[in-house]
Parts: sequence; structure tokens; C-alpha cells
Amino acid sequence: MSDKAAAMLSRSEASPPARWTARSNVSPARIGLLALTTAVLIFLPFVVTGYVLYIANLLLVFVVLCLGLHLVIGETGQFALAHAAFYGIGIYTSGLAGNAFGWPFPMSMLLAGLIAGAVGVVIGAVALCMRDIYLALATFAFGEALQWVFLNWDKVTGGPNGLRISPARLGTLEILSDKQAYPVVAITTLLMLLLTILISRSRLGRSFRAVRESEVAAMAMGIPVRRAKVTAFGLSAFYAGVAGSMFATFSTYIHPDSLGFQTTILVLTMVVVGGLGSIAGAVGGAVVFGLISEFLRQTPSYQEIIYGLILIVFMMYAPRGLFAFIHDKAGRVFRG
Amino acid sequence: MPDLLELAGISASYGRIQALSNVSLQVPEGSIVALLGSNGAGKTTTLNTISRLVPVTSGNIWFDGKAIENRASHQVVEGGIVQVPEGREVFRDMSVRENLEMGAYRRKDTAAVRNDFERVLDYFPKIRERLHQRAGTLSGGEQQMLLIGRALMARPRLLLLDEPSLGLSPVLVQQIFGIIDRLNKDGLTILLVEQNAAVALTCSRYAYILENGEMALQGPSEQLRRDDSVRRTYLGH
Repeated sequence: MSDKAAAMLSRSEASPPARWTARSNVSPARIGLLALTTAVLIFLPFVVTGYVLYIANLLLVFVVLCLGLHLVIGETGQFALAHAAFYGIGIYTSGLAGNAFGWPFPMSMLLAGLIAGAVGVVIGAVALCMRDIYLALATFAFGEALQWVFLNWDKVTGGPNGLRISPARLGTLEILSDKQAYPVVAITTLLMLLLTILISRSRLGRSFRAVRESEVAAMAMGIPVRRAKVTAFGLSAFYAGVAGSMFATFSTYIHPDSLGFQTTILVLTMVVVGGLGSIAGAVGGAVVFGLISEFLRQTPSYQEIIYGLILIVFMMYAPRGLFAFIHDKAGRVFRG
Repeated sequence: MPDLLELAGISASYGRIQALSNVSLQVPEGSIVALLGSNGAGKTTTLNTISRLVPVTSGNIWFDGKAIENRASHQVVEGGIVQVPEGREVFRDMSVRENLEMGAYRRKDTAAVRNDFERVLDYFPKIRERLHQRAGTLSGGEQQMLLIGRALMARPRLLLLDEPSLGLSPVLVQQIFGIIDRLNKDGLTILLVEQNAAVALTCSRYAYILENGEMALQGPSEQLRRDDSVRRTYLGH
């Protein structure tokens, strides 16, 4: 504003740097959804056993993978397609740290996230000079290259034969079953969910969305666009690394088969089907689509076809995703 | 009045294509200066070199006595140069209110920001009615007002306005320029890029005309309005 006007305005440097407009987008519905999620996670192990808990663990890994992809694609609008590679870095970091040092799992989990995040920042700094299809291709190429490393670096990763990993431990406690792993996986998922909500509501989250909606305008408002993109990409890699480490806590054996493009696409599909740009969508997409893919495990030849059909149906009838779709329909029903 | 902004011999290029060569201009504090020219003459590029979105290959940019040609774009915004980019670059999926908040992204003086928010809404009463609407649903005129409002939220000392009249009806153009005039009377310095030379030469005090990336003509707006060659080329009569 002008100098004259500026002089009229009182400058109060002591005021808290909090959000200056009161806005209540903490709707009861959102809090209810979060509470419901937490309740389900707490009571699940009391009502189900064995195989179902294994599936629950796996779904929660996908939830964290989706939250990470949500940050870079949903919030920031950058189509990066190397998620499985960072997931792999997380799995191997965690497994190798456990084998070599016998570290307590919270430490190897953090290490897995940090290493994946650091690699993400380096790759992001290069790849995010590019846009759209070029960014997608560059990150895709990185993902493929890394899967090749997982497959061929026999001495470290065990190559195509895979790698037996020692059980995750904390002090004298060893995680030997899915049931024991479940609390670790569930708590980590909740923490990552809360982190995502915090990021999304912070100044950083706003800068992500500004970049998604208009890079030109974001720059004009003084947002360092490159830095925002690289931060989002690094964070998403961190999430994928943590997800990999979560997977390692309930696995005895890791191999690089599932660390390629199909996993990236699966996670992308979850995020898109759930609803691009919404946290609830990312979580819901992971759960719903994860269940579908588990049911289809018996019929692998139909799996891909059905994925494709689901994607097409969603793009045609619910392009804003499952949750926006339900929300609209439910709203209509309630309004009568 | 001392110059708030001075460009001295600025050149810039996109790859091997020279976009600006040896462009010089001055914007005195408290004035409206117009930068005219046809499509592709280099008007937007000139603004982009000032807001540091396009690197300069040679020359100096002085703002308030400090050389800024090597600053990063977010530093320039903090320093008080705010650009209103052309082409309705609102944050479409955010509410009108969030758009205005984004304008104050780099500010930490919370109380003053709240005051500025009210001031901006006083300039644009129409925007006040639409605070909770998605910005993408606003009409063209409202979006242009939101863009200016958002830029004001950054508390600029110099406003770079890029084609504010683009695609607006004559009535809306009048409204927008009425507001631009008021902002200037309240003390804001404005560098205005326009294709609509008639309007720009009416509201500005001094004007520059770019042709093919070079400064072709300059002078008091009053005088340029009467100049035969300007009338033929840019005013159409």
C-alpha cells in the first residue's frame, strides 16, 4: 500500500504470526471422520486376526504412500512418478539397517524416511526444472533406473533372489507377527496422517496449492516456486521411505518385484480414484482400492483389466473422486 | 519527484531470441507511467525483468536507489514491487478470501495485514460480497479486481499492472481505471502496461512506447495523445 496509507495503518510487530483471518474449516464432519478412523484402527485388532491384520497392515502402508503422493500431486500439482523407488529405498534402508546394526525400529524408520527424502530432494532439484509430461518422464526414468539397481546390486539387495531381514526390534521386544506389527504400523500411519493435515493447513501447504493453481501468480506473490516444488517432492519421498520401513516391520523377506512402475501407478490410481487434492480422498482411495486389489489377487489376469475399468468409470462419472462423489450424493439426500 | 524505479539499458532474451535491447525508463514516485506497444513488443517482458521472472543479460534496474537486477523474485516482492500478471491468474480453486490471504504471503505484520484487508475491500465492494466464493467462479471484471486486490495485500510501493483492461467491457474498463486512479491518488506508484492506448494515455502522466523490444518513443502522455504517428498507429484515428 502507499506510504501515506501505510503511515495510517498501525504496524504491530508484536502480534502473533498466526493465521490472521478466523476461518473454521475444521468442520465437525472432518473431526468426526478423523475420530472414526482412529477408533477403527484401535478396535480392529480385537475383532479380527491373522490374515485380516496382515491386509490391514498392507493397506496402512498404502495409506502412507498415498498421503505422500497426495502432497506432491494433489497439493502441489506436480506429476512425479517415482514413488515406488522411494518406497524401495525405505524398505531396503530399514531392512539393511536392521540386519547390519540391529537398530530399534523407530530409528531405522526415521533413517529410511530421511534417506528417501534426501534422495527425493536431489532428484527433485533436477527433475522439477521440467514440467508436465517431461517431469513425469524424468521421474519415471529415475524410478525404473532404481528398480534396476535393486535388481542388480546383488551384494547389497540380494538382487532378484531377495533378502531375508531380521525382525524389527525395540529393546528386547521383537516383532514376529502381523498382530505385533499392527500397533506400530497403525500409530505411524496416524502420525503421518496428522503431519499431512498440519502441512496442508500451514503456510507451506498454502504455497503448495498456490503453485498448483498458478505458478505465475505464485511467483508474483513472492512464493519461491522451485523451492516449494522441491520441498513437496522431498516430503513425498520421505513419506514413501517411512511407508517402506512400515512394510519392513511386518515382513521377513524383501525383494524388488513390487518396486517398479506398476506400484507407482497403483498408488496414483488410489489417489486419483479417492479424489485428487483431498486428504480424505487419499486415505479412502488407498483403503477401497487396496481392498479391491486384494480381492482380485486370485485372478491376476483380470486384475489389470478391472483396474483400468475402474479408472475409466471414475474419470467419466466421478472425476473429482470417490469422496467428492459420496459427499455430493449424501448432501443431496440430506437436503432432500 | 525522485524516481522510484529506473531501468538503464536493459536487455533480455529468451534463448537466442532477443526480447529487449537497451530499454531505459523512469517511474517517478507517486506517478502513473504507461508502457505501450503492440503485441510482442516486449511490454510484459519488461515487467517480468523488473519482477525478476526474466533474467537481464545487461543493464541495471534501480529501485529506491538500490540495484535489484540480481535479486530473486520473492526478494523483490518483499522490497515492495508487486506485479499483477496478465491473463486472470487467480488461484481458481481457492476462495476469494484465500486469494487475498495469498497476497500477504510474505508479510509477518499480522495486524497491519488485517487492516489492509479491510482497505482492499473498501476499494472493491463487489469483492466483499464474494469472499467465500471460489475465485474461478467470478466474472472477468471481478477477477481483475481480485488480482489488483491480491497485489495490494502485499503492500506494494510500486504496482506493475499488466493489461488490466484485457477482455473487459468498456464500462468495466472505466471502473477498473477509476480504481487505478484512486490508488494512485492515495499515493501508490504504478507502472501500467496496456494495449488500450487511449485509456492508458488518459490516466498516465508519462508514457513510453516499445517497438520490437526497443524504446521507440516517449513523452508526456498529453503530448503523445496529440502526436500524429501515435494516433495513427495506436489510437486508430
